[in-house]
Parts: sequence; structure tokens; C-alpha cells
Amino acid sequence: MVFLRSEEHLERWLDRSGWERGASMAATLLNELARRWWWTRLEPDWRPRTTAESQAILDKVGLRGEFWRLS
Amino acid sequence: MDELDLRIRNHLYAQFVAKGKAPSAVDTAAALGLAGDEASAAYRRLHDAHTLVLHPGTNEVRMLNPFSAVETPHRVEAGGRSWFANCAWDALGIPAALHTDGSVRSECPDCGEPVELEVRGGELVRGRELLVHFVVPARRWWDDIAFT
Repeated sequence: MVFLRSEEHLERWLDRSGWERGASMAATLLNELARRWWWTRLEPDWRPRTTAESQAILDKVGLRGEFWRLS
Repeated sequence: MDELDLRIRNHLYAQFVAKGKAPSAVDTAAALGLAGDEASAAYRRLHDAHTLVLHPGTNEVRMLNPFSAVETPHRVEAGGRSWFANCAWDALGIPAALHTDGSVRSECPDCGEPVELEVRGGELVRGRELLVHFVVPARRWWDDIAFT
């Protein structure tokens, strides 16, 4: 997962790399996702999330659809 | 995940946050009063559970997500310290995990120009115009986590 300066840069990078377009989002949305995903990671009573709990985080920030299905 | 694995996992994170690198299994065993093979086996179980990522064929930590034990294009500073992150998502995950403000310095893979982001009070206040791209669909993230 990489940061790109604009849609134009993304298109050019995909053309050059030969990778198919996956999913893109604004960095602001990624920041919201990161906060929800990583917030408890350093807490001493941390426990692994279930797949359903992780899926719920993706859903919560609006990342729905086949690309975002964890299982 | 049993209590020993959680104890070792918490020790690894504490050490990584403080020192910027993950202790070896030998060092972890010594610090926690364990036999060396107990720590090694726990590292392997934590890897298999996707709680950390080892270098292939070793017991050396490569990723303690969101932190990276190897140099990457994603450098994060927070609270006067710095770490490498595994990817864009993890880069923003470090300030989140630390519950603090932070800044990210990375680069656009198209043009190679630096990109800078800053998180303050949980909000992205710099780099808001940037895009992020995911190549790999979610269900395949762990097929090759280093590529993802």
C-alpha cells in the first residue's frame, strides 16, 4: 500500500508497473481506518480480533464490496 | 493465543517502541526468564497467528505491525522517536497505536517525489490531498504480507 500524489500519478504508476487497479482511497480515509485498526495494538490486554471484528472495522469506514471481504 | 505468547508479544512491542528494534528470541528468553526454545517456539506461533512476521526460515522479526524491523520507504516520527512502517496503512497506524501526533515521510512510487503527512489530534492535517492504493484484495493480504 503506497501513497500517491494524485489520480494522474496512480494511473501512470499502474500503467508502468503492469499491476491491475485494486482499490484506492483518500489518505484521510486511510487515517480513519488506521485509527480504528491499530488503536488497541499496544495495549497490554490486547487480544487478536476475530475476522468478523476486523470486517466490521472495514465496514464502519465504508470499505464494503468484494475487494474488502476478508474471507 | 495463550498467556505466554501474549506476554512475549507485549514484551516485543514494548522493546520495539522503546528501542526501534525487536529483540532476538534468546534476548527475550533471558529478559522473561524462559528457556531459549520456549521463546523461539512462541515467535513461530505468533508468526503463524499473523501477530508478527518473521524473516523466512528464521526467528528474526521482520514486521511487528504496524512497525517494520527493516528499512522501508515509510518513515514515521512521533513523540521524538522514529520507526519504519511496512506500508502506507501501517505508517498512519503508528501514531494511532501510540495515541499520539506524528508525521510520515514517504515517496510517491510514480515520480519518486517525497510525500509528507502529519496527524494531529487524530486528524490528518497534512497530506490530505494524497491517495492510497491497495493492489491486493483483503482476503489475500496474508498470502504474501511483505508484498501486500
